[in-house]
Amino acid sequence: MRNLLRTPFVAIFQNEVLLNSKQIAPYVLMLFSVFNAALWSLGQGSSYYGQELLAKYGTLWSINSDYYISHHFSGYALGIFGLPLFAAVIMAEPVRRDFRLEIHPLIFSKPVSRAQYLLGKFFGSFFVLVCCQASFAATLILLQVFHPSQTPVLPFRLLPYLKHFTTIVVITYVLFAAVYFTVGTLTRNPKIVYGLAIAYYPLIFSYGLFLLQELPPRWRVILSPLMLKEVQIQPWGRNPKWVDQLVVSYTPIMFANRALVILAAGVCLTIVYLRFKITEPPAKPENFSWLNLSAGSKILYFDPPILQPTTGDTESDVRSVRVEKAEAKETAVPSVSSSNTGLRANLAKLAAALAVEFRLLRAERSLVVITPLAVFLPTLELAFYRVVPEGSYSATYATGTAKTLLFFVIAMTVFYVVESMQRDREVRIEPVLWAKPVPNAVLLLSKFLATFLLILSVIAIAGLTAIAIQLLRGHSPVELYPYLVIYSVIVIPSIVFMAGVSILLNVVLREKYLVYVVIVGVGAAVFYLYSQGYNHWLYNPMLYQLWNYPDLTSAGGKQSIILIHRIYCLAASVACLSLAHILFQRKSTRGVRMDGHLTDTGWSILLALVSLTTAIGTGWIISSMH
Amino acid sequence: MCLRGETMLKIRELTKTYGSSIQALKGISLDVPPGVFGLLGPNGAGKTTLMKILATLLEPDAGTVEINGFDLIIRKDKARRLLGYLPQDFGLYPTLTAEQMLNYFAKLKGVTDKRQRQDLIDVLFERVNLSAARKQRLGGFSGGMRQRLGIAQALIGQPQLIIVDEPTAGLDPEERIRFHNLLAETAGDDAVVILSTHIVADVSSLCSHLAVIRKGAILTSTTPQQAIDQLKESVWEATVPREQVAALKSRYQVISSQMLGGQARVRVISKGVRPSEEFKPATPVLEDYYFDLVNQRETAN
Repeated sequence: MRNLLRTPFVAIFQNEVLLNSKQIAPYVLMLFSVFNAALWSLGQGSSYYGQELLAKYGTLWSINSDYYISHHFSGYALGIFGLPLFAAVIMAEPVRRDFRLEIHPLIFSKPVSRAQYLLGKFFGSFFVLVCCQASFAATLILLQVFHPSQTPVLPFRLLPYLKHFTTIVVITYVLFAAVYFTVGTLTRNPKIVYGLAIAYYPLIFSYGLFLLQELPPRWRVILSPLMLKEVQIQPWGRNPKWVDQLVVSYTPIMFANRALVILAAGVCLTIVYLRFKITEPPAKPENFSWLNLSAGSKILYFDPPILQPTTGDTESDVRSVRVEKAEAKETAVPSVSSSNTGLRANLAKLAAALAVEFRLLRAERSLVVITPLAVFLPTLELAFYRVVPEGSYSATYATGTAKTLLFFVIAMTVFYVVESMQRDREVRIEPVLWAKPVPNAVLLLSKFLATFLLILSVIAIAGLTAIAIQLLRGHSPVELYPYLVIYSVIVIPSIVFMAGVSILLNVVLREKYLVYVVIVGVGAAVFYLYSQGYNHWLYNPMLYQLWNYPDLTSAGGKQSIILIHRIYCLAASVACLSLAHILFQRKSTRGVRMDGHLTDTGWSILLALVSLTTAIGTGWIISSMH
Repeated sequence: MCLRGETMLKIRELTKTYGSSIQALKGISLDVPPGVFGLLGPNGAGKTTLMKILATLLEPDAGTVEINGFDLIIRKDKARRLLGYLPQDFGLYPTLTAEQMLNYFAKLKGVTDKRQRQDLIDVLFERVNLSAARKQRLGGFSGGMRQRLGIAQALIGQPQLIIVDEPTAGLDPEERIRFHNLLAETAGDDAVVILSTHIVADVSSLCSHLAVIRKGAILTSTTPQQAIDQLKESVWEATVPREQVAALKSRYQVISSQMLGGQARVRVISKGVRPSEEFKPATPVLEDYYFDLVNQRETAN
């Protein structure tokens, strides 16, 4: 009997899982899922509705009631934090990757059928997607056991999680995954898939508003890809005990909807099977002129014959290559003047390096996913929930966006600094670049500034979105001052600090994943300490929980300490950058002085000393003021 | 024989050890005159380590490298202004076009004048035959095209020390020949081109000087002609059935055997004495010298 585990399908499936395990997106999705599961379950008391429930009934909904589990999975499947975008990242690439890496001839020369190949690719990637999504379910399950003492919890249960996760999340995403896979495989252009994923939100809302809304309730349920419930439960304002006792069950119509979704996914895969070709479309021919590296002599070159013709040999025995002069004109490489010393020359190099680094960052495909998330999530609450003005609407909007945006931009800063610092090694351009007469400061600063500019653009987009929402909701007047103050005093220095620290860690640790592990580990530990109340100013560069808008104006009492703290933060960043420069692997000179002048290293040591002194001084002032 | 000018690059007692045990360079000393200098050696001989030190990318444990009167090891910043480097294995930013990439390299080389830079790039593209592909993204470049762009970037800004490590890998025969001609032309009288390779024919056709490196030590430093002259009337050749090769190897100093039309063409070294009736005198080539040298060292060890 044939061993099913040894079929090509299983081999392709396993390989796909292995390849995905070496990508970053699945791990980011897992982190997001875990973070959201914890936030949604444990943070309910701080939400508007949570506050209302606590005031009215003195308790909240249990975090493991059937309704609440189903409600969470529905929100998760809807993609509030960008799940469809992550799904697109995972499902767009499987087949295209083989063609991009030119490994497809090796695979297709093996006895693998098209169906085995495509199904192995699809299910391998889909399995990874489901595993990532399962981290959301697993966190919810674990929160039944590990939770703060005041969190209401019913007796431990498992089955409702499995039931709702499979029905609501997995089956929904079979369809989404199949659509992304189909488009990605047939077009071999991931950008189209990402575009589709971004279009998901307007499409799904428009579909619901303009099509489903007009249909009879039964058809509304059947044709909803996210499975609307046949009987809508309205728990808002009800006693939490009533909500805890609710049981969410699926009607035959809802099962029909799930069957239809699976069928639609099957149709997509069938289309891929029928349309997929293992050959690439013919590339444009290289329309080059004849090689003309040189044309000095009549006969350019004789490959020295290793074997001389001897008696009995034919001409074809002698493997010599004779090349006649190519009919091409010779152009001498022109002399150019170079400028490699002085501030002006180095600034020109910095500008060139910055332009290239920024261009490379802009080409990062992850931006397509991360930027909409960084803009969408901080403004979500402002767009859909009640906004209570604190001082002014603009101050509330700016504060509201800044607090969530800060998490995103810090994560983005770390991610893109690490990517740009490691890129040169990964694409193997490092030896070429490092042999050029460029100061180390240019190489490091260009990466720092490019990331900073990128994040600044994201902040600007998020700020403009918040202003647009403010205008749309009629919360006028729009004042720019609160936005400018909050973003420039709180958000921007925090980014500068994180970028500086990330660059130093990259230089010291060198290994990309080690840097991630250290940053995520330290970040999680510090965040835990903050949540426990240990958020002293000196180890709180982001000023987490330490500011409100009035504190940034003369109305509050913290304006001075906040400003000194920002100097402290910036000085620490400069110290990090200077240390990174001193410890950078690429060396240019030996010692701190040469020919009577300070070397680059000498200047860095001086700068590090000045910035460290400033940081210590401001730190001391902060301690004494606190 | 081509001994031109005075020594331009002086390498003295260069040592490099990886970890605690792998000694990649064992106190190498070399004088490199202007022109194309071939560095021959098998894989793992220490060629790339030496190239990386000369390209300022690697710090030696000891030794000096003097170029134009200053120590390259101490003044890497200064050395990089004179340097054109084509590594054995390198990549390029896939999302940039060839033109953007070369423009970037030229700016890093300090070519600040826009017009000069544009003219230089135009000519370089023409010379490496990439004019038609200059607007293409590098991600779509073939290995040969990437190599040609690598050659172009190494020639930016009149480098006086050009280091090319296995440069013809991935080039087709015609490209290879033309690249050699471009190198020879660039070397001129005031620049050193160090060509690291294990292809003896490349050195033979191109280099005025050569050194053979093996297991981190220089076995010899000479000119191709001098090397060939040493084997005058010592190389013999015979075409024999394949089965006889093993026996010949045990009796004579076989430097190469190559299958040809079902038979083995064997070349042996025998100083002034004909090995046997079937052997005929052959004109020595640099490859004979190289194999003879390496075999002698193997035997001595």
